[in-house]
Amino acid sequence: MDYLLSISTTGVIMGIIYALMALGLTLIYSILGIVNFAHGEFYMLGGYAAYLGLSALPGLHPLLIVPLAGLAGVLLGLIFELLFLRPIHQDRIDRPAEYAILVTFGLSFFFINLMLASLGPYPRRPPSFFSGTVDVGLMKISGDRLTASGFSLALVATLLVIINKTWIGKALRAVSQDKQAAAVVGIDALTMNSVAFAVGAGLAAVAGALLAPSFSVTPDVGAQPSIRSYIIIVLGGMGSIKGSILGGLIIGLVESLATGYFPDPTRALKYKTAFGLVIFMLVLLLRPRGLFGRKEE
Amino acid sequence: MSTKRRNQRSLPGGFPRQVLQWAAVAILVIIALLVPTFLESYGLHVMIIAFWYAVLSSSWSLLAGYAGQFSFAHVAFTAIGAYTTGMLGMHFDWPPLVGIVSGVLMAGVVGLAIGALVLRFKPAYLALFTIAFSEILRLLIRGEPQLTRGDHGLRLDPLLRLDVTSRVPHYYIMLAILVGCLFLMHWLVSSRIGLFLRAIREDEEAAAARGVDVVRYKVFAFAITSMIAGLAGAFYGHYTTILSPNMLVLTQMGLVMSMAIIGGVENLIAAAFGGILIQVGLELLREFGPWRLVIFGALLMIMLRFARNGLLTPLFRLLFDHGPQAEMQEGTGAAAEEAAPVAEEVTADGA
Repeated sequence: MDYLLSISTTGVIMGIIYALMALGLTLIYSILGIVNFAHGEFYMLGGYAAYLGLSALPGLHPLLIVPLAGLAGVLLGLIFELLFLRPIHQDRIDRPAEYAILVTFGLSFFFINLMLASLGPYPRRPPSFFSGTVDVGLMKISGDRLTASGFSLALVATLLVIINKTWIGKALRAVSQDKQAAAVVGIDALTMNSVAFAVGAGLAAVAGALLAPSFSVTPDVGAQPSIRSYIIIVLGGMGSIKGSILGGLIIGLVESLATGYFPDPTRALKYKTAFGLVIFMLVLLLRPRGLFGRKEE
Repeated sequence: MSTKRRNQRSLPGGFPRQVLQWAAVAILVIIALLVPTFLESYGLHVMIIAFWYAVLSSSWSLLAGYAGQFSFAHVAFTAIGAYTTGMLGMHFDWPPLVGIVSGVLMAGVVGLAIGALVLRFKPAYLALFTIAFSEILRLLIRGEPQLTRGDHGLRLDPLLRLDVTSRVPHYYIMLAILVGCLFLMHWLVSSRIGLFLRAIREDEEAAAARGVDVVRYKVFAFAITSMIAGLAGAFYGHYTTILSPNMLVLTQMGLVMSMAIIGGVENLIAAAFGGILIQVGLELLREFGPWRLVIFGALLMIMLRFARNGLLTPLFRLLFDHGPQAEMQEGTGAAAEEAAPVAEEVTADGA
């Protein structure tokens, strides 16, 4: 029982961070109607931003670099959106669905190789937020991961407030529900697209900066978190904010429980992502709109 | 795009252009046959790998450019072909030739299954599903070293027990595979099947309404391109004699996609040349190290944004005034073409 409880706790702690990253993807999908296939690379760049920022400013507390890394993600996301995604919504691209997939995937290819070329394949690890571990039942959790999780929780809560209570949140929700009607009441969909993509990319960068001290950063580190985010948003229902938070927690729990109870522990770790992927394929095949997705039109 | 196509078809003449095309093909094949006389061993190795990429990029362009299925699992199918023959050789001592045939069949069977599963998916879901499939496969290969040797790498027998260092026979075999696959695919896309695939790509429901068996042709396209990828992979395995799960990383898929797109995703030959030229270009620019791929990534995005037909397709059009669509003269072709512009407007609103 104790074992189960401690495994579940670690699962939830990771799940919150997963949810943060998936939330960014959901925001982009619900406003722009596209899946950002470079989401993991914004995560990776966030990690590098934390590492580079802290090497440049050694006096800074490691936690303070996280918002800056997020800001870097926001800026990069904004530039990419303006250059490559805005034309979709100005009807200047034919076959927009495929274009969006390919161009975001192209961005991921570009970023991976850019970091590989400039910093090499070696893992980089920014300094810890807090050293030491915290006992959770039978398991020890590092202070870094707990900090990351707490920070994510606060950020998710802030986002929920912004989306539900503020004007810009209302405008975002309006665009996600009905572009034409939103335009009628004077909401500029193009601006909302940029806001959503920039914020979504920023959230991934924050997640990357938060987890960099725990897992270190390499140019290809984004693949696992981005695939995990795809799983989460499909499980939660594409475009559903509630779904991506719950989906994040579920995937955190599933990974942790499946790894904890898998008969062969050496293999269990290698299959950590695969457990989520199996859920993913089942959801896609049996209930493609996920837990809270809108019904396909 | 479809208006452009119609203009081309209405251009007068056809016979001299065809002669020109076949002459170009003949010259290229002769040059390709003579390559071993002026390239040394390492150059031949580069060409063999370039041909392998060309098979992958052209078959992916058949799947994506013609059938409209932007799969991210294409490299996974080449790995299925390679690992099937490799594992049969390691565990049961099957000879490479039997292994290659089994690899092709295995890729076909899995391709059939995946093709049937993703049939109804919208593009984003299809992309997500195929990424998941490819990633599960990679994790399985890494996670089951007693079957696949995992990260240690799976050793394969050299083909026909040839000396690994003798590049010339391998060069000709890979060239034959490339030319054979291109002929097969060219025949496919200029037959009624290709016509149906393009009709489905432009508007699935309109095509179905006109009596095209959408299910059959989409699944068929997925299976046949998977088999081609499997064949290329199986041969690649016996040529390099070592396989690792790294061949399945998504950046490999990204490379194949850039080759097809930079060449021209809606033209098989252009996509194949994209594969050859980029692989050779990467070799020539070796001194720039990883920055080469950065440039290709940027080029890929710019091409997508500003030149959807790729770099080579417009060049081909200029030379031969020829697209793969040039042969569309049958009645159904015209009908599907007429339906296409309407369909595009509808999808532009709905998607």
